[in-house]
Amino acid sequence: MAEMVKLFVNGQEVEVESGKNLIDAVSAVGIEIPHLCYHPALGADGNCRMCLVGIEDGRPPLVPACKTPAAEGMKVQLDAEHIKKIQRDVMELELINHPTDCPICDQAGECSLQDYYMKYDGQESRMTVPQVKKGKKLDFGCGVVHDQERCVVCGRCVRFTREITKTGELGIVNRTDAARVNIFPGQPLNNRYALNVVDLCPVGAMTSTDFRFKQRVWFLSKEKGICHGCSKGCNIFIDHNREKYKDEVIYRFRPRLNEEVNGYFICDEGRMTYKWENDQRLITPRANGSEAIKSAAVDSLRNAISQASKAVFLVSPSSSLEQQFAVKAFAEQAGATVLGFSDGYIKAGDGDDYLIQDDKAANRAGLALLGIDATREAFEAAMAEADLLVSFDNALGCSYDQDGLAKVLGSCTLAVIATNSDSLSEQATIAIPTASYSEYSGSIINCDNILQAFARAVVKNDPPEDIVEIVNRLGGELENNQQVWAALKKAVPTLAEVEPEQIPEQGLALTS
Amino acid sequence: MEVKLLSARFDIEDGHKIEVAKKNGAYATLDKLFAMEPGEVIEEVKASGLRGRGGAGFPTGLKWSFLPKGLDKPVYLAVNSDESEPATFKDRYILVKDPHMLIEGIIICCYAINSHDTYIYIRGEYVSQAKALQAAIDEAYAAGYLGEKVAGHDFRLDVTVHRGAGAYVCGEETALLESIEGKKGQPRSKPPFPAVEGLYGCPTIINNVQSIGSLPFILTNGADAYKAHGTEKSPGTHLFGISGLVEKPGMYELPLGLPLMEVIEKVAGGVKGGKKLKGVIPGGSSTPVLLPEEAATTTLDYESMAEHKTMFGSGGIVVLDEDVDIVKLVKNLIDFYHHESCGQCTPCREGLGWMLKIVKKIINGDGTMDDVNLLRELCDNIEMKTVCVLSAACTMPVRSYLDKFRHEFEAYVQ
Amino acid sequence: MSDRSKLIETGTPFQFDPERDAEFERLVTRYPTRESLILPGLWLIQEQEGWVCAEAMAYLADRIGTFASKIYEAATFYTMYNLHPMGEYHICVCRTLSCYLLGKQQIVDYLKEEIGIAPGEISSNGKFSLEEVECLGHCGTAPVVQLNGEFHEDMDVEKMKALLATCK
Repeated sequence: MAEMVKLFVNGQEVEVESGKNLIDAVSAVGIEIPHLCYHPALGADGNCRMCLVGIEDGRPPLVPACKTPAAEGMKVQLDAEHIKKIQRDVMELELINHPTDCPICDQAGECSLQDYYMKYDGQESRMTVPQVKKGKKLDFGCGVVHDQERCVVCGRCVRFTREITKTGELGIVNRTDAARVNIFPGQPLNNRYALNVVDLCPVGAMTSTDFRFKQRVWFLSKEKGICHGCSKGCNIFIDHNREKYKDEVIYRFRPRLNEEVNGYFICDEGRMTYKWENDQRLITPRANGSEAIKSAAVDSLRNAISQASKAVFLVSPSSSLEQQFAVKAFAEQAGATVLGFSDGYIKAGDGDDYLIQDDKAANRAGLALLGIDATREAFEAAMAEADLLVSFDNALGCSYDQDGLAKVLGSCTLAVIATNSDSLSEQATIAIPTASYSEYSGSIINCDNILQAFARAVVKNDPPEDIVEIVNRLGGELENNQQVWAALKKAVPTLAEVEPEQIPEQGLALTS
Repeated sequence: MEVKLLSARFDIEDGHKIEVAKKNGAYATLDKLFAMEPGEVIEEVKASGLRGRGGAGFPTGLKWSFLPKGLDKPVYLAVNSDESEPATFKDRYILVKDPHMLIEGIIICCYAINSHDTYIYIRGEYVSQAKALQAAIDEAYAAGYLGEKVAGHDFRLDVTVHRGAGAYVCGEETALLESIEGKKGQPRSKPPFPAVEGLYGCPTIINNVQSIGSLPFILTNGADAYKAHGTEKSPGTHLFGISGLVEKPGMYELPLGLPLMEVIEKVAGGVKGGKKLKGVIPGGSSTPVLLPEEAATTTLDYESMAEHKTMFGSGGIVVLDEDVDIVKLVKNLIDFYHHESCGQCTPCREGLGWMLKIVKKIINGDGTMDDVNLLRELCDNIEMKTVCVLSAACTMPVRSYLDKFRHEFEAYVQ
Repeated sequence: MSDRSKLIETGTPFQFDPERDAEFERLVTRYPTRESLILPGLWLIQEQEGWVCAEAMAYLADRIGTFASKIYEAATFYTMYNLHPMGEYHICVCRTLSCYLLGKQQIVDYLKEEIGIAPGEISSNGKFSLEEVECLGHCGTAPVVQLNGEFHEDMDVEKMKALLATCK
């Protein structure tokens, strides 16, 4: 536990962490100090001057909160008239050269300038002279578009590329009010985390080509989620909306702070995986090789399983722990072999030493914990004798080329329960659509053995069922995640003490 | 009135050459120096009362004593030769006419603060001056005053000339350090102060050329000899630059404490062409202007300037005659500070450009009384809200012109 | 300041000539970090070429082992780095305070008339470039003009005329 100190904000005594800068220290007790350039992941720069606060009896009496450590007995003035005037004055100066294009700016609704104007400024413009003109709509690469006029030159994006990605593509060139962010000619953004600058930008200067002009942010519902793009399990916001007469659409993923997993950022590939939640979804169930209603497809699979002499249940290394366990329990009940072969999810050498992992599966650790064999040998040996393969959302197509897949399938009947339509689902005799991770609740274990729980974020007009529910319809005994957990705790000693409802926000590091 | 302590060798032919300088006393104090303890040198400088000649006037010896003791990091000396404050033109005389006085001063300072690496930051526009300085440094290396052993003593000292490239703000000591480190000259937030965390994260002393140049005299002749000149609180001499609308502009070494008007009249020959005096900028363009009646009671020292709500600054005195259009002068000043704003802090970056456009609007005849009032208000809104004092260097004088010559602004908008 | 961010790409790679290369390597030994070579390195480029192109900045970034964006920042921040070719005779007239008070404008007006370019421009034959610059530190001998780095003090139109006559 960090050492605490007592200090006063506007005369009110608060207890905060000693040594933390004043912005973070007092925000922990719910007091906002406005700031644009400071960001906890990038440290204090001190250029925006929005966080100037008074220190009663202090030397000096006026300090940038971002650079001032909380100390015992400090008397911080935030609502004193002279401080409110400074905030108003600095806001006025931030805004004199800022274009008033909020109606067409993507940042509107989540813009620090807008929010601070409403909170700390609220004056009529006194700008009667021409504004500074700078570059608009500059393609910075990696899907980032920059507007130099909207920019408040806080330098967060520059510091991000220098301190976090260490790629240094951005700089603030010129000086005076001609200062602007730019890329060196021919050296655009070229790193796998570039889109974080869009989130970092406190104003609408950095926009994403992918999200630009798609949605007004105030229409978006922002749910918590966990990226399933690799085994890191980065925490995200799933921003989605159901427009009138349409279905739910996810418009973007944004990083969500988890100090234990991803910090403040996510990778661009992971960010873009939201598209898989919307597009190329498996919509139409199939039975006997042709379109069918869902109940017919489920019936057909139930029959196939009961009639098979040797069935292989192939689970996905990205499925939730609950789903993997439900399939495993059902396999034992139905006399099938449960396996987790999924070599194709691993892209050797693709990972880095930051967030991106080689393994593009979100929950391979779950397979190991449940003792599900994921080796090629086991899978191919089982397949040699099998007459039915049921893929529970395992993208087997990425583990084999087409010939290899044909060979391993042989004359075996193929059934898939899948979120997305792919070459495997297309050749399946039976196909049942299922919910993707934004549409169900569950838990996964990441590459660092951290167990994280996530809740259902999106409810489609016609919500596809989650694997646990489908398994239950197929004859599995476990009806829902609650029942799964009761069984899981008995079956897996590591989880014996885990209460699924009480897995902390930051995740639970599993020991053993 | 002139007293030539620092400029003693300025008039000697070839006085910048090491042989001539040596014949006239250069480097003569080194034996005495190395016989002293570093602490004694600091005490002597403290006793002299020498105040930083860059503009802020902070006591030099006291500054040195802020260095943390017992660190295993190197200590750096950065010599500030960026002199870029309009009306300031003193240090380049030392660089060109007596560079060995500066080098000797560097040796004294480095010995006192136990530093072995000095960077002289010289403004980029001083092309020939940088060459002259480098030539003198090369001479000093060849003569054994710099390098592995200074004058045969077991003390290494390397001096490197680092050229700026056109940025007034690099005269601010932490911007200067950033510039040596290869960055944009953007001042650092303090604390930490450079004496604790300066160049390359190491303890660093930054002194002005003239401050360092004063050391050989102080050490050779003792603190009392230095204090014999000037006033009790502002001892010694200063290289004053007198310019503007005056008969005999130029650089004059004078003791501190002389009456400002006497100096303008007797040393600099009075207002050019016998015109009437309108005002005096006492210490460089960033210092608030003095009206003739204020100038009449001002003396050239830190205390009198403060009493008159202005500053001693860099000792750059500018004489304004009755014909000077104050509004246009203000435009000239804002133009300068706006051009030189490093662009880091919002108030300075955005505010000075706004002020410039407003004053241009007033001059163009499109201004209103609201614009005059806004200009005045912006001085308050911008000042002291920033990392460094560049914006204040603009707003302080501009406020003084607006307050003391408001009728001239009003005339433009009526 | 006007926008300096538009760099010129020459399309040809840059490298130091042997003399500058040796000077660069000498300077490396004078500083504890290589990034300190950014300003001196830009000066060496300008000495060699008269100005600094994008390729030279990229080259310097490689030599130093830093981001091109940092070279770009420095080159655009410090106004003495020429980001385009200058005239054979580069004339800088101080525009600040004492030079302003003592008639720098007459000199600028004369030059505009005589060589036909405004401050910030280069004559079409490439012979002259003209710039108004901030205080040059020669206020006691104002107005002051810098011609290819050399100071000319106590200037007036007559003296400027004579100085121009030396620009053959």
